This record gives sequence, structure tokens and C-alpha cells, in this order.
Amino acid sequence: MKDLTPLDPLLHSQLRLGIMSLLISLESAEFTFIKEKTGATAGNISVQLDKLSTAGYIEIIKSFKGKKPLTTCKVTKVGISAFETYVKALKNYIE
Amino acid sequence: MEDKLSHTESLKIINEMIAQAKNNFDKSGSFYFLLWGWVVMVANLGHYLLVRFTSYEYPFAVWLLTIPAALVAAWYGVRQKNKASVKTHFSGLYGDIWIGVGICIVLSLVFMPKINFNHGAIIMMLAGIGTFMSGRMLKFQPLVVGAIALWIASVVCFNLPETDQYLVGAIGILAGYIIPGYLLKSAEQ
Repeated sequence: MKDLTPLDPLLHSQLRLGIMSLLISLESAEFTFIKEKTGATAGNISVQLDKLSTAGYIEIIKSFKGKKPLTTCKVTKVGISAFETYVKALKNYIE
Repeated sequence: MEDKLSHTESLKIINEMIAQAKNNFDKSGSFYFLLWGWVVMVANLGHYLLVRFTSYEYPFAVWLLTIPAALVAAWYGVRQKNKASVKTHFSGLYGDIWIGVGICIVLSLVFMPKINFNHGAIIMMLAGIGTFMSGRMLKFQPLVVGAIALWIASVVCFNLPETDQYLVGAIGILAGYIIPGYLLKSAEQ
């Protein structure tokens, strides 16, 4: 019998998993890019980004592009390792 | 959105999002290939024609065209950087390769007399490296073929006198930059 580790509840949510999968393949992405690719609402994305950032999975950088405020997100080492653990656990469930 | 996810759904999200990120490479590569392609081809041809058919004293003056081209390339680069909403692990590396190639091209021009005025052949060789790497990174085969054309042009140039090297250089750039550049442009759209 395989040892089935529980799936990280922070990642086991459609939007947060989507955001993390997107960020894991990139160096950094702006808020608008995440919104475009996930198709979610700005409010929902903001809430999920905050949760991921509080857990230390991503880094949120606030700056300005011209006069407009700019939010850029970047996955952290903690985030990469959490994502890898999640994928490994997921594999065990599926196999 | 605290919905319940099945394991296969999770896997599907991961795959879809990674594919979305992958499809997002910088779509401005063709601009540089076409800009430099046309400028260098015109300068090569101009230099060749001036030497062959006129007695103009400064045929190399046509290369002054590369100065405004460099300014346009820098302006375009800054504009694209400000416009990009995403940075891939590749985007920095892609530009770095061309910076390296550019430095080597300038060095070969500085030491023209030391390399026996074979700078044309050496520049083709260096441009081939950049084009080859760009083709591999963008997974765009016509650029790889273009790189091979540049290397063939380089071999031909090494066996020709300086003036004829400019003619071969123009043909090499047409095959290595301009044709793949237009193909890349249509692939980007």
C-alpha cells in the first residue's frame, strides 16, 4: 500500500493551482498576464495571490509603469518546492 | 473559489497553464532580423558596387547606415521591454546571446588589419551562432537553416578577395536573416 501524502490545500484549488503552474514556468508575470491566461476576475485573483504570498509561495512586487501601478508576481524557492511536492503527491494518487 | 478538484482536473490545470506559459515567447524577434538584415545587405551591396563600378574614395561610408540602425534597435528594445507583461527564463538569455555576438563583431572590426581583412567571413560566422541559437530557442527551423547559410557564406568568403566578400555577405544575409526573418514574422502573427 502506497503512502499517500495529503495534497497541499493551498495548491489544491483551481485558481491558485493555475496561477502557480503559470508562474512556475516563467521568471515573472504581471497581474494582467495572469488575468488574461486564467480568465478569472481581478478581485478573485487578488485574493488568491495574497494567500499564496502570505504562505511565501510567491513574491508580489508593486511598482509603476509610467503612471499606472504595476503588480508583478514571481514564484519563490518555497513555492517551487511546494509545487514539486504537490505534483509528486498527485502522481501517487493517480497511479 | 474553494471548489473541490479531482486529481485528473488538477493535472489538467497544471498542463494547460504550463502550455500557456510556453506559448508566450517574445514575439519581436523578426523585427531585429529584418532591420539588421536589410541594413547589412544594403551596406554590403553598396560597398561592393562602389568599389567595383566607381572610383569613390570612401566606399566604406555606406556602413554608417548601421549607426541609425543601432539606435532604432535600442529604441525598439526598450519599448518592447516596457510593453512585455511577462518575463520568461529565456527572454534575458536570448538578448544576452546577441549582445555577446555584437561585442565579437565589433572586436573583429577593430582588429580588421590583424585578421587580414577577413572580417566579412568572421562576421558571417558570428552571426551564424546568434541565428542558430535564436532558431533553437524559438524552436523555429528556418532560422537554423539560415544559420547554416551564413556559415556556408563564411567559408566562401574566406576563399575570396575582400571586395567579393561583400557580395557574398549580401547573399548570406539575404538567406540567413531576411528570408527567415519574413518567415518568422508571418509565424508571429
